[in-house]
Amino acid sequence: MPTLLADLGGAGLGMPSMGDLSLQLNAGAIAPEVAVLLALLISLLVDLAGEKAASRWVPPICYGGLGAALVLLALQWNSPLAPSFFGGFLADNLAVAFRAVVAASTLITLLLSWRYVERSGTPVGEYAAILLAATVGAMILCGSTDLVSIFISLETLSVSSYLLAGYMKRDARSSEAALKYLLVGSAAAAVFLYGASLLYGITGGATDLASIAVALQTSAKPVAALSLVFVLATVAFKIAAVPFHQWTPDVYEGSPTPVVAFLSVGSKAAGFALALRILVGCFESFNEQWKLLFTVLALLSMVLGNVVALAQTSMKRMLAYSSIGQAGFVMIGMVCGTEDGFAAMVLYMASYLFMNLGAFACIILFSLRTGSDRIADYAGLYQKDPLITLGLSLCLLSLGGIPPMLGFFGKIYLFFAGWADHQYLLVVVGLITSVVSIYYYISVIKMMVVKEPQEASDVVKEYPAITWNLAGMPSLRAALVGCVLVTAVGGILSNPLFMWASSTVAGTPILQQAIAASGGGAAALG
Amino acid sequence: MVITTDCLLAAPIVTTLAAVPPGLDLEASFEAAFQGFGLSPGAAHLLWLPLPMLLVLVAAVVGVLVNVWLERKISAAVQQRIGPEYAGALGVLQPIADGLKLLFKEDVIPARADGLLFTLGPVLVLIPVILSWLVVPFGQHLLISNVGIGIFLWISLSSIQPIGLLMSGYASNNKYSLLGGLRAAAQSISYEIPLALAVLAVVMMSNSLSTVDIVNQQSGAGILSWNIWRQPVGFVIFWICALAECERLPFDLPEAEEELVAGYQTEYSGMKFALFYLGSYINLVLSALLVSVLYLGGWGFPLPVEWLAGWLHQPIDAPLVQLITASVGIVMTVLKAYLLVFLAILLRWTTPRVRIDQLLDLGWKFLLPIALVNLLVTAALKLAFPAVFGG
Amino acid sequence: MTIASFTQLICFSILSITLVLGALGVVLLPNIVYSAFLLGGVFLSVAGLYLLLNASFVAAAQVLVYVGAVNVLILFAIMLVNKKENLAAVPGLPLRRVLSGLVCGGLLALLIRVAFTTPWALPGPSPVGEEATIRIGEHLFSDYLLPFELASVLLLMAMIGAIVLARRDVFSSDIVTGAPVDQGLIEKARTPLLVQNPVQEPVR
Repeated sequence: MPTLLADLGGAGLGMPSMGDLSLQLNAGAIAPEVAVLLALLISLLVDLAGEKAASRWVPPICYGGLGAALVLLALQWNSPLAPSFFGGFLADNLAVAFRAVVAASTLITLLLSWRYVERSGTPVGEYAAILLAATVGAMILCGSTDLVSIFISLETLSVSSYLLAGYMKRDARSSEAALKYLLVGSAAAAVFLYGASLLYGITGGATDLASIAVALQTSAKPVAALSLVFVLATVAFKIAAVPFHQWTPDVYEGSPTPVVAFLSVGSKAAGFALALRILVGCFESFNEQWKLLFTVLALLSMVLGNVVALAQTSMKRMLAYSSIGQAGFVMIGMVCGTEDGFAAMVLYMASYLFMNLGAFACIILFSLRTGSDRIADYAGLYQKDPLITLGLSLCLLSLGGIPPMLGFFGKIYLFFAGWADHQYLLVVVGLITSVVSIYYYISVIKMMVVKEPQEASDVVKEYPAITWNLAGMPSLRAALVGCVLVTAVGGILSNPLFMWASSTVAGTPILQQAIAASGGGAAALG
Repeated sequence: MVITTDCLLAAPIVTTLAAVPPGLDLEASFEAAFQGFGLSPGAAHLLWLPLPMLLVLVAAVVGVLVNVWLERKISAAVQQRIGPEYAGALGVLQPIADGLKLLFKEDVIPARADGLLFTLGPVLVLIPVILSWLVVPFGQHLLISNVGIGIFLWISLSSIQPIGLLMSGYASNNKYSLLGGLRAAAQSISYEIPLALAVLAVVMMSNSLSTVDIVNQQSGAGILSWNIWRQPVGFVIFWICALAECERLPFDLPEAEEELVAGYQTEYSGMKFALFYLGSYINLVLSALLVSVLYLGGWGFPLPVEWLAGWLHQPIDAPLVQLITASVGIVMTVLKAYLLVFLAILLRWTTPRVRIDQLLDLGWKFLLPIALVNLLVTAALKLAFPAVFGG
Repeated sequence: MTIASFTQLICFSILSITLVLGALGVVLLPNIVYSAFLLGGVFLSVAGLYLLLNASFVAAAQVLVYVGAVNVLILFAIMLVNKKENLAAVPGLPLRRVLSGLVCGGLLALLIRVAFTTPWALPGPSPVGEEATIRIGEHLFSDYLLPFELASVLLLMAMIGAIVLARRDVFSSDIVTGAPVDQGLIEKARTPLLVQNPVQEPVR
């Protein structure tokens, strides 16, 4: 940024000419976001034509936008790197991978949502628009390399999330969730801004992460550490790490279920991308400090998330706590800072996308048919609805890490990476809490499968006839079957995913630097 | 403001079609005179500083007195009455009598009102209005502070006013007052947006926020180069919004007598009421002055002064010509402003009051889109015809 | 000390004192209306500080946005819902207050210590005074173009969201099946944490 300031200042009013400017901006890097944004605007316009037209046309528009975004992201894979917007955005492989996770999670969430949204009598067009706005924010957050871009995209994601959480306004719990999320989220944003302002002060007026990283190597320790703590608190809030997790159970319980599906995957993926950008890319001179803090956060998240999940009676609340625990597992990969660690992180995020959304698809389908969310009400479900039973069982087993599901390979890769990097405490705690998590996942499966017909819950006894002919149901079924298939078969075919994860790390300069630094440090120690 | 006066814009971007006359620089000549008496430049500057402020205060108050007299006389003429006639010739002393009456009235604070906020409210309403006079130019150098953000300063200062209105409405502990305060604030923030957009279109043409630059940009060919020809829609939007901001009829809902007694002023009497009274009239004059600055060429004479001087074979730099130019400038500004005030008074007696929903509909659903379109069209015209619309 | 710097010092002291006292008042006063008005004072003092730093555009923007829009909206909200309500007493309130006071005090001490021990030697970009408006424009359309454009998405979404949340029309029937809608799709058995149907209060 200083060089640019000098350019602008030196030339006075001499702005570069139009063609020059667009060349320097390299705006093609955000083409996927533009596709999503176009889908957003078109669905808003279509929504003006009335509710019937909206429910007819908004779904294909959204599929088109998100599909185009995914195709454009695939085209960006391994493309030559050039910073966009004078250093505000960087479409490296890390950004591409996480943006793809976010876009895919939105796509699946939308497939799950249509029936639910119409059933609850809320407008479809605005719902899709707000969810797409959250997607745009999260996607830009994944690639932002400038504090201002990071903050604005974080706020776009957050504000849209608050709105989505409160979308069922007749339901008091939804409003409660939105209000709690808003208050805690605003506090987190304020803390982030304070940290960012300290960073701005340390560097003497730079906002891009590269300059800050350079300045941090020579700056005074206390103030840099303080800004690290502030920024880290926001990151931990976004990925719901203990002790910044308190909003999670209430928000997950009160929000509409498809929204929870998005929050637990898309929003979290963006949070991890932000964590990698800021902590690995920017605070590399404070490696030990942030790794220590992250170790503590990971331990707390794994223990608290998985232990408290045992006591839950509500399915969504249980998944909320389990998602806290899952975030703890992913953080192991970050703490390692090795090639395998980062690759395992990316791999686990991708597999988490399918297994978690698959589980949510089953929960949404069940609540659409019965209006219930209590674990006890799932008793004896296998006789009435084998699809939900099978899908939920497979996804929960995968979340617990039972072979040969996708989740097993993700988890084992994470633990191997941790073990290779001598993070014994983390790995042991991870293994123990995995066993705990398997216990509560299996107890749900037991509830569904083992109960005799006469022991089935009242809800299941009055289970409605299974029909798929309503609008929105086929897409729900497609998403459910797709996620469950990937979860079940992906484990066997996980090699392409491994390759993908490794080339994500290989194509990301900041991660390569970090790996080189930690490798160099290890060599020096050895 | 003390600090910003020192750092005047060194080279404002002036896009005029003709050379700008240097005009009178009172500050420079005043300081030169006092330095002639042996004072240091700093001390001379310090002596100069309070003078323009006092002058503006006096000008504002005198403007209000004239305004009140005009309002009474014109209203009477509209209704085929005579109006005040005994206090001075044609009743010119009537406003002073009014003022004296208010000055000597008992200052009542209602028993269950919030005394502190009750007192602070009118002050908060008045101060931003007077401060806004800082940026009103009466000539090339005849203004207090040629700050670079000129017109933007006025917009932002006028946004403080609703706080004072809400404060007095709340502190009166009276439902009419509270409703009036809320209405006033709602009206004020609703009309601020189209107003700012209309100003933005003018600013886009002059490439500067400074009021002096805005006037200079209109000074090329006399009346033909005034912004009203290039921004007719903007002019209408601005005028409507300015009336709404001043709470003049047809937009005087906050103090609608039939519904709210007197709105937020209900509980006020004496000098505090006078502050509201003063504030609203100063605001009216100020808005009229700014309309003339933004759209009617400011201090410019309908025929450019340089042309007249050229026809009379007088050098434009001659002291006498400069003095005449400056006087003509002041007279023109004031004349244009009072013409607009006259229009506002006529509007008061010829238009019915709108309802609150109509008012908000007009602001948000009509003026705001029109103002946005106006801004876009101005930008397009500026790209297409840079010579006429300020390249 | 020249007149200008002396004036500046006085202005700075007055503004800072107003700022700190106002901010404390916002947090500590029991009357929420006073807090809201003091918040306006705090915003104005911050604008004054910007003015002292020769950033007049930022100062005017601060007044316009924070005082003219944010604070007025806060006041509006307070005055429209200013209903006296007897809230349930929070158990252990004094202890909570002391604890949060301690945390805030500790944080303040930490921040002050850090601020004083850090050598803030870097000069930063030189102030540009009246040219700031031009400079801000240049930045918004070059290196800060992405956040600037994204902010418009954010604002659009905030606006649409506010309308969605504020308007009353929830469809009463499913537009596809015609069945009555149900927003409590989630776990009906549990009583909601907020009261869903408040008991009708007698008209006072």
